[in-house]
Amino acid sequence: MIKKTFKIPDMSCTNCAMKIESLEDDLDGVKEVNASYHKLEMVIEYDETKLTDEQIVAAVKRKGYTANLAL
Amino acid sequence: MSTKQNKPSVDPVIVVMLGVVFLAVAIAMIVFQPSTNSINISADANVMSQLVVAFVTGITTGGLSCLAVQGGLLASSLAYQIEQDYSAQAKNKKATRTNSAMPIALFLLAKLVAYTLMGALLGWLGSFLTLSPLTRAILMVAIGIFMVGNALRMFNVHPVFRYFSIEPPKFITRYIRRTAKGTDTATPIFLGLLTIFIPCGVTQAMMATALGTGSVLMGAALMFAFTLGTSPVFFVVAYLATELGSKLEKFFMRFVAVVVLILGLVTLDGGLNLMGSPLSLQNLTRGWFAPQTESNTVAESSQPAVVSDEITLNVENNGYFPAVLKAPAGKTLTLNLITNKTYSCARDFVIPDLNVYQLLPESGTVQISIPAQELGSKLFFTCSMGMYTGQIVFEN
Repeated sequence: MIKKTFKIPDMSCTNCAMKIESLEDDLDGVKEVNASYHKLEMVIEYDETKLTDEQIVAAVKRKGYTANLAL
Repeated sequence: MSTKQNKPSVDPVIVVMLGVVFLAVAIAMIVFQPSTNSINISADANVMSQLVVAFVTGITTGGLSCLAVQGGLLASSLAYQIEQDYSAQAKNKKATRTNSAMPIALFLLAKLVAYTLMGALLGWLGSFLTLSPLTRAILMVAIGIFMVGNALRMFNVHPVFRYFSIEPPKFITRYIRRTAKGTDTATPIFLGLLTIFIPCGVTQAMMATALGTGSVLMGAALMFAFTLGTSPVFFVVAYLATELGSKLEKFFMRFVAVVVLILGLVTLDGGLNLMGSPLSLQNLTRGWFAPQTESNTVAESSQPAVVSDEITLNVENNGYFPAVLKAPAGKTLTLNLITNKTYSCARDFVIPDLNVYQLLPESGTVQISIPAQELGSKLFFTCSMGMYTGQIVFEN
């Protein structure tokens, strides 16, 4: 398991964070997602053997948002 | 992705809109000063009219704002149900699609009940907080700041304003999210009840107002009227939420933000009035209308039966007349408050600096003793809502 932080600059309310956290249910290999509207970021814990950063970014995009891996 | 997107930018349109809003509020405050004898907003003080205002707020901005926050939740539930229906139809040709109107209606009904109860609870809590006009004033100022902060958050003015939005605890959002995937009749009811944990900005503002009423019944009625107002918009648009949600959100959030900003500034100003602050917009601008509003030293007063140490104020449905009373400094005075079929909140008379709080009869005269004041000083008076104001100016 690995934990990474993605910046999501286009969240506009707390409900956006809830939508993004639903990745927990949608993506195989995800253990936990904590999204924060206050920080405009998402911390995701996932199995890197099952999931890549690109797949995560694409999944966030399908939710209607843009994710950038935090440096 | 460019770093530019990470920085909140303020586009010129927003700056202009903010300017227009501030100007509009300033003009509204001036126009609606009780002393101008113009169309009054005493209706706001009237219980029924407050409920109408809450309903209209719901049916206009509240419905759209709720749609942005809660619409997706209902739509996801419906989408899942439709998906299940199609799946059932694929397996069994005789299976029929569920009518989506019923879950939406159940959702909205549950939401209505939940928010009404929430309003009652807030009103009850508020009754403990409104022990004094000062407490009420502090609450109104806090509510006003909260509303203005939320409006500025919606305008994306600065990242700090995001903290005016309350993030529900993770376990609640997770529970709501997973409950949304159910298909039984109880699910929309559950979801409707759970929306109280994810109120939109306008709803939060209305909840704050319910807290400010300090009354169980009024708090409940206010939230009922508001939530009822949101329901038709919510019902109609819920069908389209999946396709139009994000597009509508961007367009309407600015409109919602403007309304919340106006309501916030009005509330903040009311709080400042109730504190007796000279910094409220009404108190700051009162001097601009001196010829119309001022009376009247004791000797000049048009009121009958005035004796030398008495000053008289007419308390009417649309405010206090005259709004500026002149009185002699350095002597104890008697202030006669005259009501005549006065039903508005002007009856709840407050002089913050003297800690005077007097509920006047609908018709009659009440006398209040004013201790000697320094030459040139001012005493601000107001109704308990901070809507109607005036001042006593102490002169030679």
